[in-house]
Amino acid sequence: MTVHTEALGHEHGHGHGIMTQEEYIEQRDTRFLGFLLFLFTDSIFFTAYIFAALYLRSAAPVWPPVGVERPDVNLGAVNAILLFGSGITAHYAMHRLKESRIAGYIWFTIATIILGSLFLGGQAYEYAHIHATWSGSSFGAAFFTLTGLHGFHVFVGVIYLIVTLLQSLGGTYTPERHFGLTAATLYWHFVDVIWVVLFFLFYIY
Amino acid sequence: MAAISAILIVLIAIWPINNTLAVAATSDYGIDALFKFMLYFAAPIFVFVNGYVLYFARRYKHRRDEPADAVGIPLYGVVPLEIWWTVLPALLMVVLGIWSAVTLFGLYKPQAGALNVEAIGHQWKFELRYPGLKSSFYGDFYLPIDRPVTMNITSADVVHSFWVPQFRVKLDMVPGMVQQLHFTPTQIGNYPLVCTEFCGIGHGDMRTTVHVVSQADYDKWFSGEQQQVAAASASAGALNLAAGVVSKGQAIFEQKCAVCHNMAGFAQKKVGPGLQNIFSDPAHPKLVDGSAPTPEDVAGIIEKGYSGDIGVMPNAQANGLSSSDVANLVAYLKSQSK
Amino acid sequence: MSTDTIEILRRTEAPIHPAPESFVRKYIFSIDHKVIGVQYFIVSGLMILLSGLFAEAIRVQLTAPHNTFLTPQQFDEAFTFHGTLMVWFGAIPMVTGAFGNFVMPLQIGARDVAFPWLNMFSFWTFPPAVLILLSSLAFGAPNSGWTEYPPVSLQAGVGIVFWTTAVFTVGIGATLTALNFLTTVIKMRAPGMTFTRMPLFVWASAVTAVLSLVATTALASALGSLFLSHVFNVPFYDPSRGGTVVLFQHMFWFYSHPAVYILIIPVFGIVSEIIPTFARKPIFGYKLIAFSTVSIALLSFMVWAHHMFTSGLGPWVTLPFMILSMLIAVPTGIKIFSWTATLFGSNLRLTTAMLFVLGFLSTFTIGGITGIMLASVPVDWHEHATYFLVAHIHYVLFGGTLMGVIGGVYYWWPKVTGRLMSESLGKWHFWLTFIFFNATFLPMHFVGLLGMPRRVAYYDPAFQGLNLFISISAFLLAGSFLLLFVNAFWSLKKGAAAGPNPWGARTLEWMIPSPPPYYNFKETPEVYATPYGYGEPLPYSAPYNSVSTTPTY
Ligand code: HEA
Ligand code: HEA
Ligand code: HEC
Ligand code: CUA
Ligand SMILES: [Cu+2]
Repeated sequence: MTVHTEALGHEHGHGHGIMTQEEYIEQRDTRFLGFLLFLFTDSIFFTAYIFAALYLRSAAPVWPPVGVERPDVNLGAVNAILLFGSGITAHYAMHRLKESRIAGYIWFTIATIILGSLFLGGQAYEYAHIHATWSGSSFGAAFFTLTGLHGFHVFVGVIYLIVTLLQSLGGTYTPERHFGLTAATLYWHFVDVIWVVLFFLFYIY
Repeated sequence: MAAISAILIVLIAIWPINNTLAVAATSDYGIDALFKFMLYFAAPIFVFVNGYVLYFARRYKHRRDEPADAVGIPLYGVVPLEIWWTVLPALLMVVLGIWSAVTLFGLYKPQAGALNVEAIGHQWKFELRYPGLKSSFYGDFYLPIDRPVTMNITSADVVHSFWVPQFRVKLDMVPGMVQQLHFTPTQIGNYPLVCTEFCGIGHGDMRTTVHVVSQADYDKWFSGEQQQVAAASASAGALNLAAGVVSKGQAIFEQKCAVCHNMAGFAQKKVGPGLQNIFSDPAHPKLVDGSAPTPEDVAGIIEKGYSGDIGVMPNAQANGLSSSDVANLVAYLKSQSK
Repeated sequence: MSTDTIEILRRTEAPIHPAPESFVRKYIFSIDHKVIGVQYFIVSGLMILLSGLFAEAIRVQLTAPHNTFLTPQQFDEAFTFHGTLMVWFGAIPMVTGAFGNFVMPLQIGARDVAFPWLNMFSFWTFPPAVLILLSSLAFGAPNSGWTEYPPVSLQAGVGIVFWTTAVFTVGIGATLTALNFLTTVIKMRAPGMTFTRMPLFVWASAVTAVLSLVATTALASALGSLFLSHVFNVPFYDPSRGGTVVLFQHMFWFYSHPAVYILIIPVFGIVSEIIPTFARKPIFGYKLIAFSTVSIALLSFMVWAHHMFTSGLGPWVTLPFMILSMLIAVPTGIKIFSWTATLFGSNLRLTTAMLFVLGFLSTFTIGGITGIMLASVPVDWHEHATYFLVAHIHYVLFGGTLMGVIGGVYYWWPKVTGRLMSESLGKWHFWLTFIFFNATFLPMHFVGLLGMPRRVAYYDPAFQGLNLFISISAFLLAGSFLLLFVNAFWSLKKGAAAGPNPWGARTLEWMIPSPPPYYNFKETPEVYATPYGYGEPLPYSAPYNSVSTTPTY
């Protein structure tokens, strides 16, 4: 099979005008860009609700409204640590795979899954103990909508990680060929970053 | 031919627009002048674009005797021309922007000695309240000529809008918000007051009449209404807090106060704060000053009105309350307080 | 070579894989962008038709000030469905789903979009969304307009839940389409097709995709909040529990202002293709047209509050929104003037498609200028939510979007079906539509200025004369569309074979047979220059440089 690599030269302003086969393939790989765009729209979804929360806050005389308590900042912090920890393990899992150290990859991924599940458990505990309701106040509306949406993302992420783990046990991913894993890791980091914002929004600011 | 028809279309458009505006104008904030300015620059732009389109379409039309593959001149652009048609509209927009901004700030300026009237939207009627009058008006209402008016606008249920086309100004009536609209009627006449924000199945019929009348006619109407108020409050007697009746207070609260207040915690704002536990909850900061309020404090607020960070609350006169009403309200508020 | 590489090459460069055989894989669950384009065309065309019927019902009611043709409830449902169907189920899927899908990949010389399966999924969110929306008519239909401002929208029955779900669903499809298109334009262009050599419709599709990616998701969150408010009683919009009503308006218009450019920018692209083809000369100011598209898109995210000038934002909030709204006249003006200048020194073929584009130039300019009039806050205080506004939106939506779409239909019909339409019928269609369009919507400016609010089932009897005139014109306007249907059916049955390039156009879709084969391009073409160089040799590699650019219609 031949690729007209020489003819492609003038498309890219790379000096000598000739693209290597790798560059050409990379340029044609649509999946990564597509996934980034997906994360981008998803972040708009959160941004819109974060804007709404800030707007409701600015309209309220006191925040949180009287009779509503902020969620416990310690619990939020523990959850934050769990989630960041899982971000780190996810990062190392990816590295191990690229280095062909499959056992390391598997253990780090299992750790990520456990930390993610613990986060979900922490959130469930928080929902059960907080002195606010979804329909009771504007604070509750913003808090439960945003953390619920985030929790749903974490849940999906955990499922996604489990699926990739099972897939890799079946040999789907190799050190060269692992787009599904890259996407999962990227998604997981994205969910982490959202939590930073939510943590500030509801527990501290 | 082409140019003539373009000009004709513009005249057809401008003439009635000009005339539809002329009917009205009982107050001029420069809105009409601004609109006409836009009309006068819009017309040449329209003629320009259409004139050229029509002219080129005739002038450069493919003729039968030309070969089928004839092409036009290979013109990719003319930079100076492109600069002109970027800069000129931009300049025009700057002029329009400045003019609009000046007019805009004029609209928000309250005038001295304004008559304060409250307008509250309901599904599907306008309620109007005058200072010094007991009653709320749900039908026609009156304004004196040449006196500045400040309308305090809010809504009891959904979003409505306050618009008298001849006054030019319009503002939404938003539940949970009090906004002010300033204007001065300058021509005697009867004008429609219409709701322009969709508010449910009665929206189309949410219309009433504003009568702009001479000061003398207005005074006559006003004192007529005032006598009714006096007659009513004479029968009510002086303030006697001890005589307050909770159930009566509750009825009045629902009728007059619930528009702006919930019977719930302080934070449950509508227009004003929630009024539950008003005698005990330290969240009512301006009221308690650290110590618990007395019934007299609360009665004072209801009688004199109150204005603070949250907004402006009308006085007893504006709310149409007699002294016994105030006493009943205080009794009711007390009953709702731990 | 790794397996990854092989897979990717198979997708983009490899020999043609066989076309699907079964009916279902070919026409229903097809992954071919051209079939999906036609599917979008049919469904959204039907939605425009249905919505047009709702519009005519509105006009029947308004022939008399207190007509009893519809109850107020039914009337409110009529304009709600008219607006909803036109915007989300008619025009947007038409300009992106139908035109974007069919034309854009061909114009960049690609075999398909970047994610063909995703494309199929996007389409298949659309028919279910239509069903959900229409079924709401049976369950207490939503009736507060396509904007559905709370609290009044929350007073409706569960219809509002169906409505939000339906728009949400179709929005998912739109977002995924946008993601797909943007990736396609960035990654799948034929070799040599640099950004400044892309046809302007491709520019328009890419910019529209960016708008959709940002805005449609914001709409989804606004719809979500409405849904939660109705179903779980969440107090976003309830002032008695700390909510604020105006918040929804911000969230809605943050989407819906860009949405109006989602509606018009692809049409700018269509117009930019049709004009050079029939003027037979390069488009005037290619770069500035492309650049102005981008700047319109950027500005469009900073003007949303011009829909809320009477909602009680202070003067300092409205001021920047006013100025930025006015600035949009500058890039839009650049386009209008460049198109007009393209006609200068042309060799103009006045086909039906071209006539609709000339009509577009005329009516869209009016609509744009009334837009500027609405953008000035003091004047908007008079005009907001009146029939003046209704006139504005129809001059831009019908006189802009729909005119351009119909022009595009006449233009690409031979490519899609392989047959020509009747030019003489088409010209009748144009003149009738153009005349009755103006007769319907021009007088709306006057009733509006005189004091008639929008969304009213009953109105002041003083406006009866004008309203009657408008209604009669509206019936004739709808009637004029019969000619389009007759023409389409006639063409499918009897139309002359079109050949690959009946108009003598120069973009890539005209370099292959009509209708295009399953795989589009046997060999990926190479591109050497901009497509618009009329009179010069074609800038494509063999065999694409051998197609005739002499019009044959
Ligand atoms: C295709 C859709 C479309 C398009 C393209 C536009 C284009 C514009 N619109 Fe419009 N608009 C709508 C669809 C659209 N609109 C809809 C649907 C609504 C109502 C929604 C609802 O409430 O239901 C609305 C409402 C609306 C409002 C709100 C009014 C109100 O509710 O009170 C405003 C206010 O600023 C506005 C402004 C503009 C402006 C400034 C433009 C500009 O982009 C126009 C720019 C174009 C030109 C100016 C013409 C060409 C330029 C020249 C020839 C150069 C020279 C010109 C000058 C120097 C002036 N529009
Ligand atoms: C693209 C958008 C679009 C189009 C084309 C139209 C077309 C028409 N509109 Fe519409 N209109 C809106 C968008 C549109 N409208 C919106 C967004 C609103 C605001 C709604 C709200 O308040 O919430 C509105 C509101 C609105 C009102 C105000 C209602 C009110 O406030 O009470 C009225 C009143 O007369 C009206 C009338 C008409 C009429 C008579 C037509 C006629 O032109 C209709 C003629 C018939 C057709 C156009 C159908 C023919 C087309 C086909 C048969 C399909 C062709 C197929 C292909 C092209 C493939 N419209
Ligand atoms: C038009 C709206 C409106 C109406 C009607 C109204 N109020 Fe108020 N009220 C307010 C606003 C606004 C405030 C808050 C003023 C501030 O602190 O800025 C307020 C404050 C108060 C307070 C002080 C509460 C505190 O914590 O500071 C009391 C008591 C009160 N209102 C009682 C009443 C009663 C009783 C009635 C019925 C007769 C009534 N109000 C009718 C708007 C209204
Ligand atoms: Cu009240 Cu419309
Ligand atoms: Cu807008």
